[in-house]
Amino acid sequence: MKSFKLMTIPYIIWSIIMIILPMVMILFYAFITKGNSVRQFIFTFDNFLKFFSDPVFFDVLKRSVYIALITTLFCIILGYPVAYIIARAKPKTSAILVLLVTLPTWINMLVRTYAWRSILQENGIAVALLTLMGIKNVKLIETEFAVILGMVYNFIPFMILQIYNSLSKLDENYLTAAADLGANRVQTFLRITLPLSVPGIVSGITLVFLPAVSSFFIPKLLGGGQFVMIGNVIENQFLTAGNWSFGSAISLIMAILIIISMYITRRLDAKITGDGGDDK
Amino acid sequence: MSDENNKPLIQFQNIVKEFDGQVVLKGIDLDIYENEFVTLLGPSGCGKTTLLRILGGFLPQSEGKVMFDGKDISALPAYKREINTVFQKYALFPHLNVFDNIAFGLKIKKEPKDIIEQKVNRMLKLVGLTEYGKRRVTELSGGQQQRIAIARALVNEPKVLLLDEPLGALDLKLRKEMQRELKNIQEEVGITFVFVTHDQEEALTMSDKIVVMKDGSIQQIGSPTDIYNEPANRYVANFIGESNIINGIMKQDRLVSFAGKNFDCVDSGFSADESVDVVIRPEDIDIVSAGEGKLVGTVKSRLFKGVHYETIVETRQGTNITVQMTVSEAKPVIKENEAISANDFYLDVSDIEELTVSDIIARADAQAWNTVTDELISITQTEYDIKPEIGTYPVTFSTSNGTSVKVNMIVAEENKVVSEKYGEVIYAVNIYKNVDDILESPLLDTDLKTWANAQAWSTDEEETIEITDVEYDFDPDNITPGIYDITFKTKGYEFKIDTTDRFEIGQKVGLQFTPDDIHVMKTEVRG
Repeated sequence: MKSFKLMTIPYIIWSIIMIILPMVMILFYAFITKGNSVRQFIFTFDNFLKFFSDPVFFDVLKRSVYIALITTLFCIILGYPVAYIIARAKPKTSAILVLLVTLPTWINMLVRTYAWRSILQENGIAVALLTLMGIKNVKLIETEFAVILGMVYNFIPFMILQIYNSLSKLDENYLTAAADLGANRVQTFLRITLPLSVPGIVSGITLVFLPAVSSFFIPKLLGGGQFVMIGNVIENQFLTAGNWSFGSAISLIMAILIIISMYITRRLDAKITGDGGDDK
Repeated sequence: MSDENNKPLIQFQNIVKEFDGQVVLKGIDLDIYENEFVTLLGPSGCGKTTLLRILGGFLPQSEGKVMFDGKDISALPAYKREINTVFQKYALFPHLNVFDNIAFGLKIKKEPKDIIEQKVNRMLKLVGLTEYGKRRVTELSGGQQQRIAIARALVNEPKVLLLDEPLGALDLKLRKEMQRELKNIQEEVGITFVFVTHDQEEALTMSDKIVVMKDGSIQQIGSPTDIYNEPANRYVANFIGESNIINGIMKQDRLVSFAGKNFDCVDSGFSADESVDVVIRPEDIDIVSAGEGKLVGTVKSRLFKGVHYETIVETRQGTNITVQMTVSEAKPVIKENEAISANDFYLDVSDIEELTVSDIIARADAQAWNTVTDELISITQTEYDIKPEIGTYPVTFSTSNGTSVKVNMIVAEENKVVSEKYGEVIYAVNIYKNVDDILESPLLDTDLKTWANAQAWSTDEEETIEITDVEYDFDPDNITPGIYDITFKTKGYEFKIDTTDRFEIGQKVGLQFTPDDIHVMKTEVRG
């Protein structure tokens, strides 16, 4: 046992450098402002005050949450049927379908988003197709639609896999038992299958909502310059404005928001599937 | 409890089920009546669960009809059938508490809330778990889950309750308790129970009617007493408890011959001199003093089974033959790096005609090996001259390098013992062995049978008879060169008897039973 414990040391060192340290730095930067020649750093709440006092930032935050929520919703609505079909398919077929779902993730997300950009741009395929169908003068690129499309496209495999995972673990006997007790297929789905797949939906939400809310290159590439999300603001503060303190403060606010939303979904999960849920 | 004048509630009509070309049900015809506790009994793979699933509507049959209350329900989906099931692993819904699990069927039927509450509470009371409504099903013990599963099915007031090996997962004590409770519940709610099990004891204690199944067909249908006392065939007799099953011949009505004697019995309806199987239950035989019983025998073994002794009495010894085994030290011929060894061996006159070189090598245990590497070397030359007459003939085995050994083949008359009385022949030959062969044998009895070519068959040469005993007069762990006797024996007539008295092994005893303890069955068609 002892030798196995020793094997975790490189990982611990790694996570200290790559995870704990940056977090400590964010925490540190969020509460300071550049000082004068006497004191390098001055402790302050100004960064937070700035965020909440300027309605621009708050609007951006609201929009980010809204976009992420819509994205998550679409991922559930579109992903659930796919996951259900994969879970009900024969083992061989479902293996192929899982492969197809994960196949796009083998290519870098940035590359795929660029591809979408060229599909959606003013003289791109999508617009051309729509024009052929008689729908003229549509602007796809640099719209909310493009951003949500890009996000759903990028994040839906995570949702599908999570739901598929919980559906495939569903004991066939529960469905037989429900039928035995008089439930038809719709009733069986609503009363047995759906509630028992909630843990999958919840982990799917976590995997989709979190990256969606803080995403910055999808809105940047597909939403154009004017379509700003909170991730872009943070990026700008760090890279363009050089205001690390303010960037850190926004990051911290986001982190707290994410923790709260995770807590809420977990509670919801526990309430539906029973206390504690089935912890894996 | 079944009333033959009633119309049956469930009728299986020529049910056939195939899975991927494999026939698991071969045309089942079965009637089940109202208020009956019917058990489908059989080993795993006999088709009993398949039949139950067809009744529940979870599997479609390949052929035949399922009638329910006079109507064909073959096409009706499970959720429309007035049948509920208690599943093998209960299948309680993990996301619902006890109350909601039981209420599931009622909620589907959209019954009013207060009625649901009333019915569920009544069910909780029936299964003795009144206080458990708010509990999570995952917190319950196996026995409690079992009861909830029963309550969840019964609350829908089905006409038939199906139970798929529901007690399989419980420990022995709880199982006994649940058996009694299930029977009580069935009597209280007064509906038909169709119970599937592989446990014959469970079937006997609970059922009104037992259906014994094997390989997709029904072997016998009857009450527990019928099945136990009058098994239809050897299979049923064997499956329903321990039994003595003896080959016999029906001399005439109410007279059967077995174990070399004629006995009065109560069975009739067989043709004269028909071969039959005779069943006598171990608890129906009494051991009395020798000379008083109908059969005389020797106590062969005794096993304490908790309440009684399972005593085996041999009423007739098997046929036996004794051969000689000459054991010597291994003394291979060694030349340079090569060693070769072989034994003398016996042959029958009749064997000589078809004798081949490989036969000779095998019978003589001839082998050659390299003394340094221990690798085997092939024997390339076997020189012999043999006539189909009694006598001793030399044989020489050699390798390609010329290392050779010379042994004798002894041609003798066929060595066999014929027992005219019992219609048996037993055969074996004398053998020559090395000390090492005996010491290194992992299965000495089997090896001795093989070496001596020991066989037994019936005098009409139709059947081979098993040689059950091998006796010898040496200590296999400390054998020294010499000549030893080996005796091979066939199985005699043995009776298994359950007694509360303890009898000494080797004791002469008599066996007593009455004509109605003898049950005569038709011999199963073999193959």
